Amino acid sequence: MEVQLELALPSGSGKGSDPNQDCDQRKKRSFEEAFMGVKKKEVDDLHETLPLLIWDGNEEKKQQFDGELLEQKHIPKLAISNNRNAEMEDNFVVVGWPPVKSWRRQFCHQISHRECTTNYVNVENNGGGGGGGRGSNSMYVKVKMEGVGITRKLNLSVHRSYHSLTAKLIAMFGICEENVEKYKLTYQDKEGHWLLARDVPWETFIHSVQRLKLQKMATTFYS
Amino acid sequence: MAYSFPEEVLEHVFSFLSSDKDRNSVSLVCKSWYEIERWCRRRIFVGNCYAVSPGIVIRRFPEVRAVEMKGKPHFADFNLVPEGWGGYVYPWIAAMSAAYPLLEEIKLKRMVVTDECLELISKSFKNFKVLVLSSCEGFTTDGLASIAANCRHLRELDLRESEVEDLSGHWLSHFPDNCTSLVSLNMSCLGSEVSFSALERLVARSPNLRTLRLNRAVPLEKLANLIRRAPQLVELGTGAYSAEIRSDILLNLTEAFSACKQLKGLSGFWDVVPAYLPAMYSVCSGITSLNLSYATIQSFDLVKLVTQCRNLQRLWVLDYIEDSGLEALASSCKDLQELRVFPSDPFGAEPNVSLTEQGLVSVSKGCPKLQSVLYFCRQMSNAALISIAKNRPKMVRFRLCIIEPRAPDYLTLEPLDAGFGAIVENCKELRRLSLSGLLTDRVFKYIGTHAKKLEMLSIAFAGDSDLGLHHVLSGCESLRKLEIRDCPFGDKALLANAAKLETMRSLWMSSCSVSYGACKLLGQKMPRLNVEVIDERGPPDSRPDSCPVERLYVYRTVAGRRIDMPGFVWTMDDEDSGLRFS
Repeated sequence: MEVQLELALPSGSGKGSDPNQDCDQRKKRSFEEAFMGVKKKEVDDLHETLPLLIWDGNEEKKQQFDGELLEQKHIPKLAISNNRNAEMEDNFVVVGWPPVKSWRRQFCHQISHRECTTNYVNVENNGGGGGGGRGSNSMYVKVKMEGVGITRKLNLSVHRSYHSLTAKLIAMFGICEENVEKYKLTYQDKEGHWLLARDVPWETFIHSVQRLKLQKMATTFYS
Repeated sequence: MAYSFPEEVLEHVFSFLSSDKDRNSVSLVCKSWYEIERWCRRRIFVGNCYAVSPGIVIRRFPEVRAVEMKGKPHFADFNLVPEGWGGYVYPWIAAMSAAYPLLEEIKLKRMVVTDECLELISKSFKNFKVLVLSSCEGFTTDGLASIAANCRHLRELDLRESEVEDLSGHWLSHFPDNCTSLVSLNMSCLGSEVSFSALERLVARSPNLRTLRLNRAVPLEKLANLIRRAPQLVELGTGAYSAEIRSDILLNLTEAFSACKQLKGLSGFWDVVPAYLPAMYSVCSGITSLNLSYATIQSFDLVKLVTQCRNLQRLWVLDYIEDSGLEALASSCKDLQELRVFPSDPFGAEPNVSLTEQGLVSVSKGCPKLQSVLYFCRQMSNAALISIAKNRPKMVRFRLCIIEPRAPDYLTLEPLDAGFGAIVENCKELRRLSLSGLLTDRVFKYIGTHAKKLEMLSIAFAGDSDLGLHHVLSGCESLRKLEIRDCPFGDKALLANAAKLETMRSLWMSSCSVSYGACKLLGQKMPRLNVEVIDERGPPDSRPDSCPVERLYVYRTVAGRRIDMPGFVWTMDDEDSGLRFS
């Protein structure tokens, strides 16, 4: 990428230097001159704005080509589909979308849980209405690991013990052996409280878990 | 000619100026006006707590009585800013406790406030009156207890949407018996139950109480008793609005409400039992602001309530209201200025209610004063947007969230460029805009060309190339805040418009294509900007310069680089080429 530095006047004064315009602008001393004892020339230097790259008119044409390149690069392209299950397959969820505040997110979670339990048909060996059990056998819950930006989703219905769940989490987040000790598994129950997963029997856990969080030991957390 | 008027006269004249903009202009006239003005400025607003330092503020304005400040970027509301990023208010409180003993008001938004801060506030400012903590975090109910116990002249305690570690409801009982100054109390974000008798007594001894927002834990059966003691209330937030259906409760409540002749605003309404809604009917005609955004009741019940509020100006509601409900709203509430429709099931794959673009179109047609919109829906068309734009050219805030990212016009399958283009072209007073749906660079060309008064723009999953960002940065003259996520915007547009960033409060870009190299360059060349790279993958130096950063936050500042950054934030500047050794 070529970088061309060019001194340009502040946007207000338009293109080029119209002497009359400059004159008007410089009639009054600026703040720096008046109060900070800065000489006029220094003031001009201060105010010089520098486009670090010159936008040339051919950009539009070039961009069509560059645009394609960019698209291939780094942005995870979300398939336009109404079927969330397609995304769930990848265990990948978009953080912070739709843009609802945490209060509202928790609140919506409670509403959907209520809707679930009224419609829910009990399937043998599977837990209660976790986030995502819309009449299907899967029980997807969100999992966040402290220090990692992306929230993942995990199907709890395929696990029967903390052992298998932990193994899955280690694999999912790529936690190396020495770091396993540093994290504790916490979960949010139906009332919105955050609890230590291993403090309760598996059955209790699986029936009330709404979401999971891997927290670093020795940190206090907000609810 | 500065000596033609005595200072006292000038000071008196300046005291009529409340707007910061005016006071800033006044202070530029000449040295003596600058001096007089700075000694008599009583209120300051700091839009970004890192744009200036406590020392600089205190040095210039020695007699401040009210401080308003904001911390984290707006996208922190949606979990895009990792915990521990910053926004700590403690250094400010510490500095002000020494410099402003007469401070009366502190209003904070998105800042980290600790119990220590609250205790310091309660002990340092003898005349403290107003504490508003909006979307703040970091404190517990113990901190609230300090405020309640020590602020003898407290008028306002407003905790709107803050995350408070709720240790117990006991804090409320710390208000001394001789505290009678309360005008506004908003505890709606708290979880635990407070002592009801303490609350009752507090309300009873506060004759000036105008705003009371309860939390969910205050049961409906007890609401009547509370309201009865405060018939002068102007704004009421209920607790849970449900109880066993009993006629005595309903009667009590109805009577209590009917005594509130000044009630203008209602909120709360968690867990609504529709049978209790008629208790409020007597006050509906006076209601101008109604927040039903937690009321999980069906359209039918919502409509019955809303259509009685003929003077309604502001309505916040869940999408349970549906298109039919919005149509009824449009026919009944001709004074409506602000509408916010929130999603009841934002993460569901399929729509759970019949709310589409039609609802918004109806309201835009029927409500001539509509100027502020926040609308979540699952489908949109260019035709609908064009219609809205033509109906409401005086729109000031337009925030549309189509839940599926990159969703096209559902009728034509085209991008929504034309629709949003119509919005910016027709609504010449537009100050705030949030985009969604399938959008190409073209929409940004429209925005850059027409949105000359736009101050805040939020973009997500939109655009094709740097050209999009370039249009916005080079065209939007009034732009102050720009926040972008998941767009293919990279280095070129950012660097070509570097100067623009000094005219704005801040720029946020996450999951875009801005390279580390470009961030370094920007930081090196623009000393009056803080260019912060937020990356949880580890030091950006450990990756090639061409690698895009996870998140970028750029803001203008006179305070230099931050000194309180966590391990995942790096400031790009010329001191050490961007690498900060921790």
